[in-house]
Amino acid sequence: MNKIGLALRELYRAEEDLADEYVKAGERLAVEHEVYYACKRFAQQCHLHAETLRTFAVRYEEELPAADDDEVGETTTASLRHRVSELLGRRPESGLLLLRSLRQLYLQAQEVSFHWIIAGQIAQATRDQEFLSTVDRLHRETLTQIKWLKAQAKQASPQALVAASG
Amino acid sequence: MDRIQRIWGEPTPFGSGEEWSQRVDAHLAVAESEVERWVQSACVLCSNGCGLDIAVKGGRIVGVRGRVEDRVNHGRLGPKGLYGWQANNSPDRLTRPLLRRDGALQQVSWEEAMSVLVARSQQLLGESGPLSHAFYTTGQLFLEEYYALALIARAGIGTPHLDGNTRLCTATAEWALIESFGCDGNPGSYTDIDVCDTLFLIGHNVSETQTVLWMRMLDRLQGADRPRLVVVDPRPTPAAREADVWLPIRNGTNVALLNALLHELVANGRVDRDFVAEHTVGYEALAETVEHYPPERAAEICGVSAHSIRNAARVLGEAERLVSTVLQGVYQSNQATAAAVQVNNVNLLRGMIGKPGCTVFQMNGQPTAQNTRETGANGTMPGFRNFENDEHMNELAALWNVEPLMIPHWAPPTHAMQMFRFAEEGSIKFLWINCTNPAVSLPELQRIRSILGQERLFVVVNEAFLTETAQLADLVLPAAIWAEKTGTFTNADRTVHISDKAVDPPGEARADFEIFLDYAERMGFSDKDGAPLLKFSTPEEAFEDFKRITAGRPCDYSTLSYEQLRGGSGIQWPDGRERLYRDHVFLTAADVCESYGHDLVSGAENDQDEYRAHDPAGRAFLKAAEYIPSDEQPNDDYPLLLTTGRSVYHWHTRTKTARAPELDAAAPEVWAELARGDVQRLGVAEGDLVAVESPRGRVEARARVCGIREGVVFLPFHYGYWDEPDGSAPNGRARAANELTITRWDPVSKQPLFKVAAVRIEKLADADGNTAAAPEVTAIPS
Repeated sequence: MNKIGLALRELYRAEEDLADEYVKAGERLAVEHEVYYACKRFAQQCHLHAETLRTFAVRYEEELPAADDDEVGETTTASLRHRVSELLGRRPESGLLLLRSLRQLYLQAQEVSFHWIIAGQIAQATRDQEFLSTVDRLHRETLTQIKWLKAQAKQASPQALVAASG
Repeated sequence: MDRIQRIWGEPTPFGSGEEWSQRVDAHLAVAESEVERWVQSACVLCSNGCGLDIAVKGGRIVGVRGRVEDRVNHGRLGPKGLYGWQANNSPDRLTRPLLRRDGALQQVSWEEAMSVLVARSQQLLGESGPLSHAFYTTGQLFLEEYYALALIARAGIGTPHLDGNTRLCTATAEWALIESFGCDGNPGSYTDIDVCDTLFLIGHNVSETQTVLWMRMLDRLQGADRPRLVVVDPRPTPAAREADVWLPIRNGTNVALLNALLHELVANGRVDRDFVAEHTVGYEALAETVEHYPPERAAEICGVSAHSIRNAARVLGEAERLVSTVLQGVYQSNQATAAAVQVNNVNLLRGMIGKPGCTVFQMNGQPTAQNTRETGANGTMPGFRNFENDEHMNELAALWNVEPLMIPHWAPPTHAMQMFRFAEEGSIKFLWINCTNPAVSLPELQRIRSILGQERLFVVVNEAFLTETAQLADLVLPAAIWAEKTGTFTNADRTVHISDKAVDPPGEARADFEIFLDYAERMGFSDKDGAPLLKFSTPEEAFEDFKRITAGRPCDYSTLSYEQLRGGSGIQWPDGRERLYRDHVFLTAADVCESYGHDLVSGAENDQDEYRAHDPAGRAFLKAAEYIPSDEQPNDDYPLLLTTGRSVYHWHTRTKTARAPELDAAAPEVWAELARGDVQRLGVAEGDLVAVESPRGRVEARARVCGIREGVVFLPFHYGYWDEPDGSAPNGRARAANELTITRWDPVSKQPLFKVAAVRIEKLADADGNTAAAPEVTAIPS
């Protein structure tokens, strides 16, 4: 059993799932402009992470499928989600929807980050310098996503929970 | 002399290190001998801050004259300064409060207006708490007014929702300075222009936006030891026409170009190694990033030749005294902060900062924008304090004698675009707008009008005129303006001026300062001991209180006074110091810095603990950024790229300048600048009426065919609807550029991106003898 391959596959899946979640959140939150554009970029970043990982997985005899390239605004249900976003976007409850999406993204990004820690340990133990530098660079990008999500949640929560309750 | 045609007046060339000569510019409606009084002030029609005296006769303003002793202008004034004062005397000034009743604005007494204001405010505070309140201020008031407002919003109401329209003009300047140097405040002085040997202007059409500063540059360019000039701008501006190297890049690609320039500096050994080693952090990462931007790559992205990029890099690399300046072509464009920071990096790599002739100017847009930043009315905390630093916030709370938790600092203060979003979803229910016109100046106007028009949102507007925004308000308070009240303000090179009251305001109009104080008193805002929160009742007392708040902070006003500011030249903070960072110790130390900074690409906030673990302790940051293409690229449906901007004769939404006959006549109507290379394909000729359309709206304008970059369309953003029938929205024919712009902002500075929207052109009618209303001095017809 290729245990390293399995670990890399889990990371790959986590990145692809996170990309999916960014795409869906971006479409759902089209009226939250800053979140919309960030989701768009982070989805691309996750796909790129998955694709990069695929090229390294070959070294560990693991064959991963080509990464998706779903983009915010281009899925089959995009226009529906966009419309719902606009309809809900004029209600104070839309802040709750935003918080819920941020929570989901934050949790999944943490999961991705965990897998990057493991990938870094694999790179070190197999003395693969090139993989190690790549893991380091991509993991830092994931950590930046987490910081961004955290900051958004800190800003959004008082307005969603305290102001809108009146 | 006709200063409409001769914008910059008579040249007075000078060589490096010589004194810029004096030249007194004046415009009077009466003979000079008839002037009864001259009252000291400074100009509020751009960010330059030119000292001037107001001429008064019979209780009215009758003209202005440049102050020859002032360090900023040496007596000179630009066209807006010379003619703009006439707006004060305009017959359509607002003179009584207006309250919306049965759908229409009706005159009421101040007592009734203030009672309604306070009743609604108290009701909403009771029902929904402080987060229901938002304040959207301006870059046009005085320091004392912003300070009073910041104190009211932050510690009286306790809301994070206070920002200025300075978010649209100056937020990126502020954040670029913070990201590189740890704190706001332009390092240099306008006198650096007198001794520089190289000028690098990026996205800064100084010849139109700061005419007197351009006079200074132009006089150097025409004098002995001419400095070399590099200009980056898609339009052939008057500055571009004087340039040694002009790079008319595709809008939205600043980071790619700057990375290539930095690439060349590194590759050709033009880096001041000792300076970088001793006074900066981040060089390795920056060098690694820019390594991937050879001029050929940038040439492809930016649409200019690799040869011209190399030429520009050579000029910057050979400079011994480099002054770089940045404005809206960077701040309102794709990757605003990331690009502005790369300009800082040019000067840092060359070790050219904090010395005569060596600096970077992250320019301001508006005359008093600097003061919104200093007082904490622009999405920051007073005195350049760091909202994440508990010591800073405890100190502020102690100075104001309130509990630290009273001042919201759980997240960054809310920026303007987010405030409008909260108003859109309905959680902000009370929006007080002072002296700014979002119904013309914010992006995507259809959306903004629909937000302001909501029944559930109570909109209060302080204004001098019935603007598009005022027409949408529930309560309009008539405001006294410049020359009708006393206060101070600060320009882009930290020069503080006093502006004394010269005449009484018309009718019952009141200074914003008085309105804010009246509101605070009626609301009963108090400190933690039950004493009134605002411990001042005049502008001078507010200034004295602000001195206390800034003492020991980088923007230290404590050595200034009204008395000192009267009589001579404006004075720079701190303590008259010409340049910051003369010792090359920057304000980045963890205990000092205004922010722990951001990732420039995503806008993610840096973590305080990580920052402290790698405390740069006074070294400047060299922060790198990859180029990311802008989100809205030209496509088959919308094949052209729109950029919007200011023109020399107007200020903002023409509220004042269209009421000055000379300025109005010089540019009475909107126009669209189209490239020679595009018009044949479009079937458009000079003067034709065209529609400019984006996915968000449509504007009609006559075409000016000129030397703008191919594929790019320019619209001035000044024109709205107040001087048309039914004037709060388009009535048949839309002409506000912001009908077209996109709701998108920079991830770090949160400045809206007005300069990257995809559009198409449709010809509507032949010129038929008409020409575009574009000024021929600045937009030269082909």
